[in-house]
Formats: sequence, structure tokens, C-alpha cells
Amino acid sequence: MAKKWLLFKQLAIKSWIMFRRYFFNSLGGIITLYVIFLVIFLGYKGIAGLGPTDQYLSIEGILVGYILWYLALAAYQDVAYTIQNEAKQGTLEQLYMSVHGFGWVIGFQQIINAFYSLLIAGILAFFLMLTTGKWLNIDLLSLLPLLTLELICFAGVGFALGGLMLIFKRIDSYMQIVQFVLIFFVAAPPSNWLLRLMPGTLGASLIQKVMNGGEALWQLAWQDLLLTVGVALAYLLLGVAIYRICERKAMKSGTLGHY
Amino acid sequence: MADTILKVENLSKTYKVRKSAPIKAVDCISLEAYRGEILGVLGPNGAGKTTTVKMICGLIKPDSGSILINGKDNFKQRSAAMEHISAVLEGNRNIYWRLTVRENLEFFAGLKGKDPRAIKKEIDYYIDFFGLGTKKNETASKLSRGMQQKLAIAVAMVTGSELVLLDEPTLGLDVKASYDIRDLLKQIAAENGRTVLLTSHDMNVVQDTCQRVIIINSGRIIAQDKVSNLMRLFDVKAFKFVAEGRLSENLKQALTQIPHLALVEEEVDTIITLNLEEPRNFYRVVELLGSEDVSLLSINRQELNFEQVFMEILGRSENGGEKMAAL
Repeated sequence: MAKKWLLFKQLAIKSWIMFRRYFFNSLGGIITLYVIFLVIFLGYKGIAGLGPTDQYLSIEGILVGYILWYLALAAYQDVAYTIQNEAKQGTLEQLYMSVHGFGWVIGFQQIINAFYSLLIAGILAFFLMLTTGKWLNIDLLSLLPLLTLELICFAGVGFALGGLMLIFKRIDSYMQIVQFVLIFFVAAPPSNWLLRLMPGTLGASLIQKVMNGGEALWQLAWQDLLLTVGVALAYLLLGVAIYRICERKAMKSGTLGHY
Repeated sequence: MADTILKVENLSKTYKVRKSAPIKAVDCISLEAYRGEILGVLGPNGAGKTTTVKMICGLIKPDSGSILINGKDNFKQRSAAMEHISAVLEGNRNIYWRLTVRENLEFFAGLKGKDPRAIKKEIDYYIDFFGLGTKKNETASKLSRGMQQKLAIAVAMVTGSELVLLDEPTLGLDVKASYDIRDLLKQIAAENGRTVLLTSHDMNVVQDTCQRVIIINSGRIIAQDKVSNLMRLFDVKAFKFVAEGRLSENLKQALTQIPHLALVEEEVDTIITLNLEEPRNFYRVVELLGSEDVSLLSINRQELNFEQVFMEILGRSENGGEKMAAL
């Protein structure tokens, strides 16, 4: 256990060094996200006669949806791009030779990345609320478990894509498509069973209820909470299973570290 | 009996290629590496060296065979096996370019389960050992190619692994950096008691650093022995006489009667090469040259270098020759 903690610590130190050393790059990412939202926000305000009809179409709804989209994007890209970057950098095979096993390395890395994503999402949310003048309900006790489930769910998608990357290598254009599909997943109301089973859709609606509707975690339907947990774990397990299959295939074909 | 750190038995690997015949990269290879030795794995491009190294590292799954690192199976007891092995792989950076020298050493130590604080002395030692002291706070991207390679090897060393695999460690380095790496490798094996398994195309590196070599061609081991034994095996025992001026026709005729003798007239001198199959022929040549008072400028023993030995072994294997091994 002490060795696992050591690994976590080393990965956290590395991430912090990278974040600090390339702070302006990270800051540039936040500014880009802010500017994109500003364009959406101004566009929304500019459409005359469009009155907010429900929680998804209100500016608060868009604001929550945008933050969730960022988190979804970060969660799935973190896994897939971590694998891709390590392969590109020529360090993936070194990570595979870790005594802890690559599963622990990438798992811990995701926890660390999730922390940074939540931190950036928090900063972004603050500035977006400041810009729009709409202050959302930031009930951390209710939000953190839901956001964690969303991150777990999208990390599953990331593992699946990361696995495909090990085999097919150049799938960046498909990764671009996925980020637009994610908009649909976090924005679509879970109006039927199929949508409720889509990655992140039900979770996003619960987060909307907390941030936009002012509800607390215990006020949400337990069936919905249970299903959100189930869906998140199912996508994570499915993603990891796909990753493992792809990893075995890459190890058989000798293309693990190729890029 | 030598202490075995690596034991590879009947290792085979075939790559399936779509719409093409499968490629047998490694064909039933067995080898051992002993503690404290530098073992060279040689072979032409596509011989199966890198596949073998990566299978030992547990990065490519073999079709059959077993790999034991310090007695641990590298797939079935992966975590335990990985404690004893580090590698610098060819074509990879192996280190993080955005981290400094020290940060890289600390990170990879943690990856191998070593607390960087607990091994601070070792980290400092390897920084000095590899001559990286003045660059320890520089990011790896700012180092020269030779320095980066030294750092990659230092990272492999600092983890404390008994077996260090180096795939083409001097590839792309200038002469000075290549010599530095050679010296460091010899010191690593001698002082630290590590086993180094290296692949290289540079026969000078192999001849200079390796005690033993394994030569692979088309996925099979075609020779494995001590470098000195292989050199002896192909020792031609030839002598080269350089005689001043041209020889008389009578003398030339008499000399060319001697078996295994070649005579070449150059612009001013005459070169006589005698392959010493029968030692008494040496005295016969001296006697004949002496009979006409030929002035000899030099008599030199012809020696093969390891590159020629390697080519000879490869040539024999490609012509269906026998495996040359003193196993």
C-alpha cells in the first residue's frame, strides 16, 4: 500500500510540475473555454424573442451544460490523450514496466487529472457566473458525488478510446467527433430509458437539478441516483474491458509503444 | 557456477501481417545472462533483436517460451519481475523532456517502487556518475543528444534494477558521447555488479564492452560465446610481408608455388600475404626472400576485427552453415 501511495505521490508531483511549468498554456486553455462560452452567451442574448422555457434552455441551463461538457471532455480526453501522449513521448513502455502495473499508473493519473479538471471547472464556473450575472447553486456536498460519477462515466469512454488508440493510433478525427457527441449526452433531457442509459445524460440532468433547480442530493429520486451510479460504473467497466482487449492485441502485435 | 539473472527458454514470436505471410520474428531462442556481465545481442536489421528485448521487458507477448528474470516469470509474476529490470528502448525518448534531470530520476524511481527521498544519495551518485551535475536542474529537452541518452541510462540505473536492457544505446551519438557511454557501461557492470544486455549495430561498442555475445539472424541464434572465443574461432593466422621494390620473375614463381599465398605488386612495393595453414611455409617465404636479399619493409600479423568476425558468422549462417556456439 505504501508503494501505491508513493506512485500516487510521484504522479501528483509530476502533474503539479507540468501544470506549474506550463501554467500559461493551462491558462490559455481556460481563456479559450471562457471565450467560447462568451460567444455562446452573446449569441443566446442576441436571439430576440427566445424566452427561456425550461431548465435546459435557460442561460443557467446552458451554463451548467457548458461546465458539464468541459468536464466530460476533460475526463475522456485525459485518459485517451494521456495514453497517446505517453506513446508519442516514448514513455508509455516505461510506464508499462512499472512495478505497480500500468492499470494503477493510469488509474491514479486519472484521479489527479480529475482533481485538476474540477479545479479548472470551478474557476471557469466562477467567471462564467460573474459574466452572466446568474449565480448557480454550488452545493458541494451534493455536487461532488454527482460530478465524480460523471467523471467516472466519461473516463470509461476515455479508456475505450485510449484502447482503440493503442491499436489504430491515428484516431484523432474520431476523437473530435466524440466531443460533439458528448454535447448531446450532457444536454439531452433523459426523457426515455435509452437516453437515461447514455453516458452522463442522467447524471447531467441531476446536476442541472442541483445547480439550476436548487435541489439537494437527498431530494433527488433515489432510483435516479442508483441508476446514475450503475451507469457510471457500467461505462467504466466496459471502457476498461475494451482497453484491456486492445492492450492485449497491441502486446501481441508488438505495437504498444508505436506511434 | 555463474549466477543467472535472466533465463530465456524456447522463445518464439510470429507477427501476423494482413494480406501477407506471417513473419517469424523470433524462432525458439534460448539464452542466459549472468550477474555482472555485459551481454551483447547482435544481428542485422530485422533479425529479431528488438522483439527479443521487448519480450524480455514484458512489452510484447511471446507465442511460446518462458522468460525468468531473477527467477520470476515476467508475465505470470509481472510485478516481481519488473522490480529487477529496466530498459532504454531504441527509438524512444524513455524520459520526460519537460522534466529536469533530477525530476526524471525521482519520478522513475517512484515508478519502480523506490522512494526518491530514501534514495537521494543514489540519485546524487548517478547524477555525478553520468556527468550530469551541472545540468541537474535543466529540463531534458535542453540537453544534448548524448546527455539525454546518459540520463535515460541513469534513469534505468537509479531504479536499482539488476538487469538493464539497452537497445542501441550509442545510436545517433557522436564519437565522444559514444566513448563516454561505453566507459560508463563498463563501470556499471564492474563496480555496480549490474547485468547489462545491449543490442548494437556498432561492432566497436560490442568488442569494447561485451564479455559475451549472442548473434541472431532471421530470429534464430546463430552464435553465442565470449567475444574472445569468437575472435579466436576466426583468427586467420595470416602474415603480411611488405617487400621493397619488385621481385624477380624466378622468385615470384617460387613464392606462388607455396599454398595459401597471395602476391600483389603495388606501385613501388610487393605485398605477400600468407595464410598460415602450415607454419613451415612462413620459414619457406623468409628463406626465399633471403635468397635474393630482398629488403623487407615490414612483417605484420593480420588480425580480424569483430566486425569481420560478425560478417563471417552471418555469411556462414546464410549459406546454411552450422551454429557456432560454445554453449
